[in-house]
Amino acid sequence: MLIRRCPWRSVQLHQLWRLRQIHTREPIHDKRWPGWEVVVGIEVHAQIKSRRKLFSESFTSRPGEIPNTTVSPYDAAFPGTLPTLNPKCVELAVRTALALNSEVQFRSAFDRKHYFYSDLPAGYQITQRYSPLANGGYLKLSRGNVAVGITQIQLEQDTAKSTFDGLRRTSLIDLNRAGSGLMEIVSEPDMRSPEEAADYVRTLQAVLRAVGSSDGNMEQGSFRCDVNVSVNRPGEPHGTRCEIKNLNSVRFMMVAITSEVFRHIELLESGCLVPQETRGFDEDKAETFKLRSKEDSPDYRYMPDPNLPPLLISEEYIEVIRKTMPELPDATRARLLNLGLSERDADVLMTVDSGREVGFDGELGKGAVAYFDALAQHRDPKVVVNWMTHELLGQLTVRKETFSDNPISVAQLGELMDLVQDGKITGTSGKSLLKHIITNRSSAPPSVLAQELSLEAISGNDTATLQTWCAETIEALPEEAEAVRRGNPRVLNKLVGKVMQLSRGRANAQNARVVLNDILRR
Amino acid sequence: SLNVNSVHGPVVNPYRTLNEKLIPWAKRERRSAGGSSGGSAAAVAAGMCDAALGTDTGGSVRLPASYCGITGLKPSYGLISRWGVVSFADSLDCVGVLGKSIDTVKIVFDSISSYDPKDPTAATPCIRGKAQASVEALISALDTNTSKPDLSALRIGIPQEYFPTELDTTIVTAVRKVLKRLSSLGAQLIPVSLPSTPYALSAYYVIASAEASSNLARYDGVQYGTRSPPLPGTDKSKPSNVYAHTRSAGFGAEVQKRILLGTYALTADAFDNYFLQAQRVRQLVKSDFDSAFRVPNARLSSSPPNADGVDILLHPSAIRTAPPLDSDATSGLDPYLQDVMTVPASLAGLPALSLPAGSAADGWPVGISIVGQWGSDELVLRIGKVIQRTADTDDSYVPLEELAQSLYLLEHIA
Repeated sequence: MLIRRCPWRSVQLHQLWRLRQIHTREPIHDKRWPGWEVVVGIEVHAQIKSRRKLFSESFTSRPGEIPNTTVSPYDAAFPGTLPTLNPKCVELAVRTALALNSEVQFRSAFDRKHYFYSDLPAGYQITQRYSPLANGGYLKLSRGNVAVGITQIQLEQDTAKSTFDGLRRTSLIDLNRAGSGLMEIVSEPDMRSPEEAADYVRTLQAVLRAVGSSDGNMEQGSFRCDVNVSVNRPGEPHGTRCEIKNLNSVRFMMVAITSEVFRHIELLESGCLVPQETRGFDEDKAETFKLRSKEDSPDYRYMPDPNLPPLLISEEYIEVIRKTMPELPDATRARLLNLGLSERDADVLMTVDSGREVGFDGELGKGAVAYFDALAQHRDPKVVVNWMTHELLGQLTVRKETFSDNPISVAQLGELMDLVQDGKITGTSGKSLLKHIITNRSSAPPSVLAQELSLEAISGNDTATLQTWCAETIEALPEEAEAVRRGNPRVLNKLVGKVMQLSRGRANAQNARVVLNDILRR
Repeated sequence: SLNVNSVHGPVVNPYRTLNEKLIPWAKRERRSAGGSSGGSAAAVAAGMCDAALGTDTGGSVRLPASYCGITGLKPSYGLISRWGVVSFADSLDCVGVLGKSIDTVKIVFDSISSYDPKDPTAATPCIRGKAQASVEALISALDTNTSKPDLSALRIGIPQEYFPTELDTTIVTAVRKVLKRLSSLGAQLIPVSLPSTPYALSAYYVIASAEASSNLARYDGVQYGTRSPPLPGTDKSKPSNVYAHTRSAGFGAEVQKRILLGTYALTADAFDNYFLQAQRVRQLVKSDFDSAFRVPNARLSSSPPNADGVDILLHPSAIRTAPPLDSDATSGLDPYLQDVMTVPASLAGLPALSLPAGSAADGWPVGISIVGQWGSDELVLRIGKVIQRTADTDDSYVPLEELAQSLYLLEHIA
């Protein structure tokens, strides 16, 4: 690991030798803006998926909750109330820091950021501006061998939600969200295109969901981005940056960045300077508009919060979290490949898994990978993954359902696979049984169901029944039988299929083929 | 401060000097009861109740106790929960107890000083125990329950900086009498120096105003409380236009002044020179106390005790007696100057007890303050008990029972 001082920011950059050096990256030549370099940095506010809020006992709210119901006197800033730190929020923030290779600080502190607004009942927000929970770190993007640096990760309170009722010309305030825990993740200005920004956001969302610290959903509001954009000629220092707030989706973010880049280039090419501003994004016009200029930006009068002592985190605490936190996507993929899964199978499993619901307070969710892991105990992983991806997911897809709708327990599917492996039921019977359990939401053990539905395979010794079925088949399909006698072996498959149909899947297809051949050859 | 800015008008000190024995209440000289817990102090002094609660941020319980001639305790910061107390300056606010006697104050204090997890600044049972253990030996050695206790194990510090030129000389006399009595019981009197004392008052007002501007930001008339609607035609898109009406109507002039000063102290330009500097001075004040005491500070992980140090400090509670209400003393900077003796203990979070120590030349009460190391409230109260008991033999001291009786009789005659 090399450590060098960045010339423009007085911080040390930790660079991995095999990744590109960020500030000396070769300028990317983008056809959209030839002769210009784009610099993007992103500040993310992610809602911590804890049961209770950051400093009060009230529950965090879900989308669709009745307004002003998950509010305590502290959240409404009643006089005489005091904050009590929720340790679950700290735990989840530490998980995030570890996942982003950020250095968790032994000592961090809370500050008050003051401004007056109707969505801020206390007139200040508790945050960690000067002594954040974690410093440094990086996030490797999915494409291009690029790592985006992380400046810091801090805990802070969320504001209430303010909706403007245009008809009545009133602002409606919902305090349900006030005081919920947020992780603010500040990136270094290391991205060089709207696509890299989108990649960063999607990768970060996946990481947060994987460690269980946030739902990371931009549309639902549990993941908010403020984007900083500037342009410069290659080789020159970074230009003046503008901040774009209130972006609701990755797509809109890319459009906003592109439109902002063009706006900067237009100003600079006509000889003007780019004024430092905070801007909003108009989705209809697909362009940014000015919210406030640098002069109008408020003085937040940061003051250390006198009620909250410094947060001290020990090495032991960090190690416990490191050991008990969920696996990161990279590690999961490597582990699955190691078990012998093909890349395609691993990809499918992980894609399905990424759709799993994030549990509260970091409790491990029941996703496809966890399901697979449970089944693969003492079983061949390749057999397990085949059953899961081909049969189970196939059946669910036909019913227009997803893995989260899966009604089959690990125990049930495990027993079913074992019955097939041991020859107690045929593969075909197994598939029918699977379909039956899914359709009827049955919770009975497969062995019991196999008996009830008469799906047990006929044993290898019972040749009589098999002979009967084969004879019946030849009678039912005389033309095909004649074709086989004449030397066309492929038609045999149709006959075998008929035997399976007659036996309702209980016959062993291999044996049936042998017996048919036998009869027809005579 | 002097409790002259209440919405009900100034609190009038109910104390009656010996000269005023036959003058009806309505015709007597009206003096300040001290503040900001002047109302609580006046209620106790007038015999309306046995004890009252107040909040002491910079002397608001001790100063009125001194002016009204009663006992007022500001406990160690963190011993009494602040859950439910309207915050003014979180790092300085303490719930205080006012009472006629030490015994009454102690009963109330003992029942309310327990650990409350809802207060993040509350001292844990572990730290309380640690602090109590440091003075246990001394308390048992003193045996303060007898009428003539042996105080030879006690080292009392007299801080030099607490006798400024502004201090009324007859107050010094009263304090000297108390010191003499303690000395005769065997206590050692040792002069000590707390060099940061002259800077403490300025630091206090910067910190208190800054924290107050933060804590009072919530009173905007949106969630609860008074709301003064903006005038028709106001541009309601800016919150400040809407809030200004409620806040201007709801806050008195003095509070508005402190909020403005505090806001200024926190602005980006002024932060380093005012707020940060005040915090540095605060740290110096704390270090001064820790160096003066031989009792270790339980809140510090390593506090090597100063073997030559003292167990408690003794000093006048105020630079003068209760100021007359219609005088210059109640306007300008003078009200702030009255806090000069009390703010250092507030900045350091130390227990401080003000008890009556006779009267000054004008016949009005004088208070003496006992200050101990953090968590040594029990020791402070015990020494206070000794002083109170030995004071019964002093002629110039008007016992409260007699005062209450004559007040009652006079009301019926007049």
